[in-house]
Amino acid sequence: MKSLKFVVVLVLVSILVTACQPSAAPSQAAVVSGAPDVCTSDAFGCAVFKPGEVVKLGMGAPMTGGNGSYGVDISQGASIAVTDAGDVKGWKFALDAQDDGGTAEGGASVANKFVTDPAIVAIAGHIFTDATRAAMPIYEKAGIPMLSPSNTVADLTTLGSAVFNRIAFSDTNQGNAAGDYLFNTLKVKDLAILHDGSSYGKGLADTVAAQFAKDGGTVVATQAITPGETDFTAVLSAVASKNPGAVYFGGYAAEGSILVNQMKQTGLENAVFFGDDGTYGVDFLTHVGANGEGAFATIAPASPDSAAKTAFNAAYLAQFGKEAGSLSPYTWAGYDSAAILANAVKAVAVVGSDGNLYVPRAALMAAVRATKDYVGLSGTFTCQSNGECNAGLPQFVVVQNGAWVAVQ
Amino acid sequence: MHALSLPTLAVKGARFKKVAHVFDLLRPILGAIVLAFIAYRLYQVLIVQQEYGADTWTRLLISGLIIGGVYALIAIGYTLVYGILFMINFAHGEVMMLGAYAGLFAFQAFNAIQVGGQAQTSFLNAYPVLAILLAFVIGMFISAAIGYFLEKIAYRPLRKAPRLVPLISAIGASIFLQNAAQLLFSPQLREVTNPDILRRGAGWTISINNANVIIPYTGVFTFVLSVLLLIALYIIVRKTRLGRSMRAVALDKKTAALMGVDVDRTISQTFIISGALAGAAGVMWGLHNGMVYFYVGFIPGIKAFTAAVLGGIGNLPGAMLGGLVLGIVESVGPAALGIDFQLKDVLAFVILIIVLTFRPSGLLGEVLAEEKV
Repeated sequence: MKSLKFVVVLVLVSILVTACQPSAAPSQAAVVSGAPDVCTSDAFGCAVFKPGEVVKLGMGAPMTGGNGSYGVDISQGASIAVTDAGDVKGWKFALDAQDDGGTAEGGASVANKFVTDPAIVAIAGHIFTDATRAAMPIYEKAGIPMLSPSNTVADLTTLGSAVFNRIAFSDTNQGNAAGDYLFNTLKVKDLAILHDGSSYGKGLADTVAAQFAKDGGTVVATQAITPGETDFTAVLSAVASKNPGAVYFGGYAAEGSILVNQMKQTGLENAVFFGDDGTYGVDFLTHVGANGEGAFATIAPASPDSAAKTAFNAAYLAQFGKEAGSLSPYTWAGYDSAAILANAVKAVAVVGSDGNLYVPRAALMAAVRATKDYVGLSGTFTCQSNGECNAGLPQFVVVQNGAWVAVQ
Repeated sequence: MHALSLPTLAVKGARFKKVAHVFDLLRPILGAIVLAFIAYRLYQVLIVQQEYGADTWTRLLISGLIIGGVYALIAIGYTLVYGILFMINFAHGEVMMLGAYAGLFAFQAFNAIQVGGQAQTSFLNAYPVLAILLAFVIGMFISAAIGYFLEKIAYRPLRKAPRLVPLISAIGASIFLQNAAQLLFSPQLREVTNPDILRRGAGWTISINNANVIIPYTGVFTFVLSVLLLIALYIIVRKTRLGRSMRAVALDKKTAALMGVDVDRTISQTFIISGALAGAAGVMWGLHNGMVYFYVGFIPGIKAFTAAVLGGIGNLPGAMLGGLVLGIVESVGPAALGIDFQLKDVLAFVILIIVLTFRPSGLLGEVLAEEKV
């Protein structure tokens, strides 16, 4: 009796699930009467918006945890872009920023949530690489274009993804520049490499090591640390025995700041700490205090101050009570990313004969990738066919008197 | 060790007797192969390559002893509770985390109180010894209270339930406490304000091989305090009335009750003691490592559990030994074997497996009474 009941419930549930599926899938929207022709020919169909609904841009970012300032900052920058973008033929934009913790699991679960929301047309993100990598195939199936403001890992644009684009510089550029800078400008001969084992940290560390060795330097130690731990004295002691002139760290601020603090007690007090775009930010400064003096990081180059940037900085300060760029180096890129996506939506959206707004998804993917000579707050972007939209080089910064200062 | 095997498995076990027999033969052989490999690597790195000097070994050993002391202190909590209730209190790491937060807020408050008319120093630096003592008392009190209520709410109603039920309840309590801390104290990393005499990174400097090796004050403080607390606990368990009732309950609850021991009260007191020790470990963790966040108890908790099993769960000196061994293996091991430091956790668990292969009840574990199995 009991098992029979169970079977009946199971059948009912499965009927419900299959019945609900088509209406939720955005690709089915094309069959609605009144849809413009472009929706029937579009590979992924159209997203449909009734009058009064909002066109949503998604974002997956770490909002909590040791690297939470990245997600908070970038989503704040993007939210200003969404306000500035105004409306598309009378429909308003909205930003839906979700916490993915910067992890692969988080990225996949946020992506799965977004693809079931028919109002999401594009993703300004994700912010961290592992999350992005997990999310990419999910958006690929749903035909939702991504434009990441901050993913720098080199191979992301070589995976043949039709949806992934980025306006951050590539780690190939970042790593090579850092390797050259260490060898040529800082005159370091022996370099120790540390990374956090993430695809971002390790990829970057490997690039730096290769470039540094190519320039003629010696990589004396390569070690990985475990993110989330708070005691790295053992690994630093082992590194110290090789007497490196500098320690390059591929990873994020949470671990980077602990490393800087513990370098002073493990015999590495004279070695230069060289971080990346993930270790830059106020969190790093507050955690390292005086120990951080002379630590390096790389950031996206500051674009010359324009009227738009001044206006953005004022708006950011007024809304969030902090100077733009003090939380992470990517708030301007977050703005640009959302602004480019909003522009692309405006370019492809059509109002149907039934008074609804239709956004053809495949056309939107093409429009994002066709971005050309877009002048943003963080640079000028032209997307190549692989989704690489920024050919720029990073800018180096160093901690002086408790603040990040740009160096040449 | 047998405590974790389920009764159903024991019945069905007869069918697998032949297979188990083969493994019984293979196990020491596999263990010997792994041991031989480790010995070979040790020889390679220590004698042939001589990769690290004496200064590096000293530094690694210092790191290992400090972290081992903290592991030992947390491991005691697992072992105490296991010895009496035969359950693994998986929320123990979170009790430590809350102790670390209590210490963090205590130090912050002491730093905010201004004393002294002209000089205007904070209470923290004017009376550092008193401040540290108070911070430990606060941290231990909070953690002891959490441990007490944890047992009352999450474990006591399940005392008569099958053994797996309180285990699931413990995991639930662990997740609850983590999320509660995240909501209450924000998910960001917070920094502990140390008094000047215990500045992080400062310490005695000794010269080995013309290299300066720093023995950090916080580390020495952590280690010495751990040892003192462990000795105090040992005296409590061996010499006091409370300790006697704890040992009686651990041996046989029913008989202990017949002899006039208040079993419920003894169990509550055990949770209070194990919570207080975890709280002390949490405050030390904050003093030494400086960073506190809601997830800070998870990894030390898992490691300390490993240490307790390594030393022989249910055995107090075993937990201390297990903690120290684990701490040293983690910091010295990767260097001694010439492998990547990220593999230190793998190494820790390999050591655990080897020890359990040859001594299934742990380093100092004893064969449990029939009643416990």
